[in-house]
Amino acid sequence: MELCLRHLSVAFGGHPVLRDISCVPAAGRITAIMGPNGCGKTTLLRCIAGLLSPDAGAVTLDGAPVGDLTARALAQQVAFVRQHAQTDFEFTAFETVLMGRNPWQRRLQNESQADWDIVERCMRQTGTWHLRLAKPMQMSGGELQRVMIARALAQETPLLLLDEPVSNLDIAHQIDIMRLLRGAAGKTTLIVIHDLNLALQYCDDLLLLHDGALLYHGPIAEGLTPERIATVYGVDAHVDRGHILFDYDGLS
Amino acid sequence: MKRDDVPRLTKGRANPWVLLLLTVLLLAAMAAGCLYGAVDFGWDEIGQSPIFWQLRLPRVVMSALVGAILAVSGTAYQSIFRNPLTDPYVLGISSGASLGAAVAILLGLEAWLWGVGGVALVAALLTVLLIYRIASIGNRMHTTTLLLTGVCLTLLISALISFLMVLHQEKMDTIIFWTMGSFGNSSWSDVTLLAPVAVVGIGVVLWYSRDLNLLLAGSEAARSMGVEVETVKRVLLLATTLMVAFAVSCCGVIGFVGLIVPHAVRLVAGPDNRRLVPYSMLCGAFFVVVCDTLSRTIMRPSELPVGSLTALVGAPLFIYLLYRNKKTY
Repeated sequence: MELCLRHLSVAFGGHPVLRDISCVPAAGRITAIMGPNGCGKTTLLRCIAGLLSPDAGAVTLDGAPVGDLTARALAQQVAFVRQHAQTDFEFTAFETVLMGRNPWQRRLQNESQADWDIVERCMRQTGTWHLRLAKPMQMSGGELQRVMIARALAQETPLLLLDEPVSNLDIAHQIDIMRLLRGAAGKTTLIVIHDLNLALQYCDDLLLLHDGALLYHGPIAEGLTPERIATVYGVDAHVDRGHILFDYDGLS
Repeated sequence: MKRDDVPRLTKGRANPWVLLLLTVLLLAAMAAGCLYGAVDFGWDEIGQSPIFWQLRLPRVVMSALVGAILAVSGTAYQSIFRNPLTDPYVLGISSGASLGAAVAILLGLEAWLWGVGGVALVAALLTVLLIYRIASIGNRMHTTTLLLTGVCLTLLISALISFLMVLHQEKMDTIIFWTMGSFGNSSWSDVTLLAPVAVVGIGVVLWYSRDLNLLLAGSEAARSMGVEVETVKRVLLLATTLMVAFAVSCCGVIGFVGLIVPHAVRLVAGPDNRRLVPYSMLCGAFFVVVCDTLSRTIMRPSELPVGSLTALVGAPLFIYLLYRNKKTY
């Protein structure tokens, strides 16, 4: 499956959010989407997920614009883990993950053995199997996030989009989730992430946005240079043995 | 995963045994409703009694139909709007219909078949259309705006009805009786009108019951899991609105059923709409049949408005269920 972004532009109320973005994220690799708050990262993901139609340009999957696909066809190819999960409902974690099987089920058809097996596998993979009878309100933020990722995995899509999946988690859970995504073999993964070092550690490629425009697309190790970090974030940094160190108050 | 483990994790679709049990209960309630009333019948008398065939039986069938319609619509609305306080009247159907009925009564249209009901139906649909029109932005529906517009217009129309009643005090009783609901004038022609609407409307909600589950996860999440959110919402709102408007035009505004029955069923059967919709349908029908029977018998020969009975019986029952389930919240 080939994902392709062509001359993508979006504006909200006359204010441009994405400007003429064209790129082909590499299949089967993890691409970090980075840039400061408000630079259009979530908007970009929403365009790819078919939740927002761009003002100009198009997102295509194997040549077909996502806007032309039915919700069902799109959901068989793209899974989207949103930044904030809905928590005020009464379904158990197992039932929540089972919902991810929806695009593959016929109407009025009950779940099959295959569906249940996939749900169990995805929950074990995300370390949430022990939570299978828990309701959203009984789970911690990290647990809920992992359940949402399990639901997206249960959709069995070639493309996985995640909007800040680790932002509210402690470092141990952040590493857990990034490892998990590395282990989700063969998926093309696009992930909005703020932690430069975590991205450097676990992502293959980088899509760096600056004021809604694409500043860099390529291997992450070459992309996160002190010059670009200074341009995009306005922060002084230097790279030391594969780690990025920041100049917090001009002392370094 | 072993097949035996699954029922503990998810109950899935409706259990046929529960459906059978609820159907038997409903039929028993309908039988009791047929036998008891302003006049009691014995089994041997019903064969030749025109009162039984022309008044009692259609009335019991109507109360079952209306109960099913209100409970199923309430279930659907609560999932579409993701708001536990929504009931089938939240989009102004009840107030629109009441205003239409009040105007029809004041114009003396009661003598005509469908006079009051017809005007009520048209007024209900016009009110809902007006609310949609106000609340739709582009070709999307904003559910919060829809709810707020509904609540606001409902209050406005209620004020208009009070105004009409004060101006025409001689007709006040008729109007009040209508706004509290009654099956007193039910006939077979009502049944033949409402039954097909109910079958189609409830069928549509059953058809989309899994989509209702996904809508509970939020519109965007539902869309990324393959639900055509805007289409599904539109079709469901159209189907439920039509059947509630027809129900209200036949028998007035019967409150509480559409709000409480889905919640009561949810407390016992869980949140899955694939079970909730059929269970609510049968429980709603059962509940209204029982309330209508009580409204005819407890103070006979006079009759209470069934809408007050649904609240009198339903509220304590529901509070008991909430109390029993307190520890799970």
